[in-house]
Amino acid sequence: MSAPVLTEQALPPVPAAPKRSSWSGYLRQPIVALSVLVLLVMVLMAVFAPLIADEPTGAGPEVLQSPSGAHWFGTDDLGQDVFAQVVWGARTSLVIGLAASLIAIVLGTTIGLTAAYFRPVDAVATVVTDVMLALPTLPLMIMLAAVVSPSVWTLTLIIGFFAWPEVARLIRSQGLVISAMPYIDGARVLGATGWRIVTREILPAVVSLMIVSVLLTASRAVISEAGLSFLGLGDPDAWSWGRILLNAQRSGTIAIAWWQTLFPSLAILLLVLAATLAGMRFNDNRDPRRNGG
Amino acid sequence: MAVKGRWRLAVALGVVAALGVSGCGLNEDNSSSGGTSSDAVLRIGTTTDVSNFNPLQSLSKTDSWILNAMYPHLLRIDENAQKAPELAKEYRYEDDGKTAVFVLRDDFRWTDGKPVVADDVKFSAEKIMEYKLGNVAAKLTWVESVEAPDPTTVTFKLSQPYAPFAEGVGFWMPIVPKHVFEPAGDLSKFPNDSNWVGAGPFVLESMTKGQRYVMKRNEHYPLAPEGKAAVSQVEYRVYPDVNTMMLALRNGDIDLMGTPVPVSAAKTFENDDKIKLAKVGALGFAHLTYNMKNEHLADQAVRQALSMSVDTKAIISAVLQGDGQQMAGPISPIFSEYDNTGIEPYPFDPEGAKAKLSAAGYRDANNDGFFDELSFGVTCDQSNANITRVVQLFRESAAQAGIKLENECVERNTFLTRTRNGEYDIDASQWGVFDNPMDQLRSTYLSSNPGGINYNLLESPEMDALINDAASTTDPEAFKAKIKNIDRVVHEQAYLTPLYVENFQFAYNASKFTGFIPSPSDLLGMVTAYSLAHVTPVK
Repeated sequence: MSAPVLTEQALPPVPAAPKRSSWSGYLRQPIVALSVLVLLVMVLMAVFAPLIADEPTGAGPEVLQSPSGAHWFGTDDLGQDVFAQVVWGARTSLVIGLAASLIAIVLGTTIGLTAAYFRPVDAVATVVTDVMLALPTLPLMIMLAAVVSPSVWTLTLIIGFFAWPEVARLIRSQGLVISAMPYIDGARVLGATGWRIVTREILPAVVSLMIVSVLLTASRAVISEAGLSFLGLGDPDAWSWGRILLNAQRSGTIAIAWWQTLFPSLAILLLVLAATLAGMRFNDNRDPRRNGG
Repeated sequence: MAVKGRWRLAVALGVVAALGVSGCGLNEDNSSSGGTSSDAVLRIGTTTDVSNFNPLQSLSKTDSWILNAMYPHLLRIDENAQKAPELAKEYRYEDDGKTAVFVLRDDFRWTDGKPVVADDVKFSAEKIMEYKLGNVAAKLTWVESVEAPDPTTVTFKLSQPYAPFAEGVGFWMPIVPKHVFEPAGDLSKFPNDSNWVGAGPFVLESMTKGQRYVMKRNEHYPLAPEGKAAVSQVEYRVYPDVNTMMLALRNGDIDLMGTPVPVSAAKTFENDDKIKLAKVGALGFAHLTYNMKNEHLADQAVRQALSMSVDTKAIISAVLQGDGQQMAGPISPIFSEYDNTGIEPYPFDPEGAKAKLSAAGYRDANNDGFFDELSFGVTCDQSNANITRVVQLFRESAAQAGIKLENECVERNTFLTRTRNGEYDIDASQWGVFDNPMDQLRSTYLSSNPGGINYNLLESPEMDALINDAASTTDPEAFKAKIKNIDRVVHEQAYLTPLYVENFQFAYNASKFTGFIPSPSDLLGMVTAYSLAHVTPVK
């Protein structure tokens, strides 16, 4: 008689074990490990920029030097060190990438979950999301950035504002599945308010999707920032990877100083690739079909 | 060694192949040219499209290049920055300077066969005054009437003597064909975008927006050595990006870059023996101009302190690679007769600037290293590589003097709007062409702002009096002395900080074309009507 009870009691620890192993299993994939490492290095580089290289200022006599021991990434047409510019550029790119994706996540999750749970809101929210998705974002961003004075914060707001619809879409579709689950009905029967159900019952179920979205949105935001800076709409006082590219393009040195465009482009490529891979693998990992759950 | 040897072989083969190809190209040119009237096409790179085909209206750089090759002017600026005859053979003043008389050549022809006559000049001037067109309208302010007593004489009756009148109008005013423009009616709305009739060495024939503008030779252009240009066709090609344009020149897709080569990129052509660089001076200069409507910038001490915190020497050696000239007052050294050599540029001295500001009562109460009230935005055009660099360096050096500057370099159209509306504290920009100092002072400092470039938004009765007094002076020596005095006053007041007079370099394919006669400034450069009329294909 006790045997079934025992098996029942033995059950709870079982889900916990795969959970732990799924995290370490996730990190044990070589691509993921590499991506996370790249992301870590980028973050450390941004945080400790002043320790790694002096902020690029002034002008020097060593103009357009190719990469060497003294200047790892060469120098630009003012004689400033490109390595220092890339290191300091990581700050702006990461700050804008993360802050913009946080704005997008907060907006997107709020709108997505509200739409998923409160049915009357859904119609309006879906239409608004669809309209936002159909907008040509780049020209609009260019227009907005041209009208307001460009700074790190205005760029963050602009990019974040145009990035939420994708997130809202994802969260809403996941939220719809969850809000149809029996335990949500259970919560409702127990008298939980809509607010409680959304924040305590549905939100935790979409957290992993949010993590994926943060990574993907941040990588898109980094690209947007580089694009806007390259078009001359970035913060002129802050180093960013797009601005290094703009300087090279404007001074006509692209053909003779490959290092001035190669290294910032590589930095963008690495960051975006790492964030995308890490995000997608994380998404695959939590997919129950893949884990046989 | 073996590897090296193979490399040498490959390079040698490459060189032989390149020579073979270029040799063929030259042969083709020769076979088709057949003597003096060749069929050579000169292809010129430009960064922007033509936005306006009506030469009487305000023009962008590409507009001027194309339209100046089509519509003659009375005078031109030669390679030494002096006025030289073009359509006018000569000019003189009569009636104590109150009448200006131009004597025209009688051998200019419009492409439809009609001669260019005094009536065309009279018509052009009258229409510009009637519709207040372009920047020329301001130069015709004093004109009471224009007469054309015979086909080669034009007289302008002035309300008061104005010494540089003939020079300014002669250089700036395009002459349009009366018989084509008169039927068009309202010339402020006339687009003039097809069936062009011109009297310059080349006239537009066809265009594809965003790609090319094809100009055909005028078979009758008296200023060309053989009565018409040696090149049969001039083609402007649009390359929005200067890097691409430089590659196009190296690849032989174009023969001349209309826009100057950025200093930092001059190395591109170092090892290319086909490409040559021609260097010209400037007719304008780069400057920082202070908005007098800002309560702190209205204070002379602040402007002087700012002038002392710009390291112009370092800017010239870094941004221009040393290829530029320092200035003291607002009169460029190119006008050597008017430049007041008695004044010295403000020294670069951030500590001195700080002391000056402290003495003037500015305080740093919150101890952040910056004077509390002194925080200004510096606006500039993002697309101007040199000026954006200058602003970057200015911001850093001004911080040493305790003045907080914010870099407000923005996209070009936003910049132009802000400049037009006076929405800036400090304007960092470049003046393109001043053809004489009097016109320059009038358009930059008169409160009535006749030229629209009083970027100081200065309204000073003293300056107005000084300028108007100089403008009506006819004695050349007294006139020079008065200009020099204004130069000194502007310098003392530090209304602006002049940065540099730069040199421009133009790159062209010397293996295919020769004979350019470059004029100073990037607006004129290698592509003036006179220069294009003298270009010859290399035999």
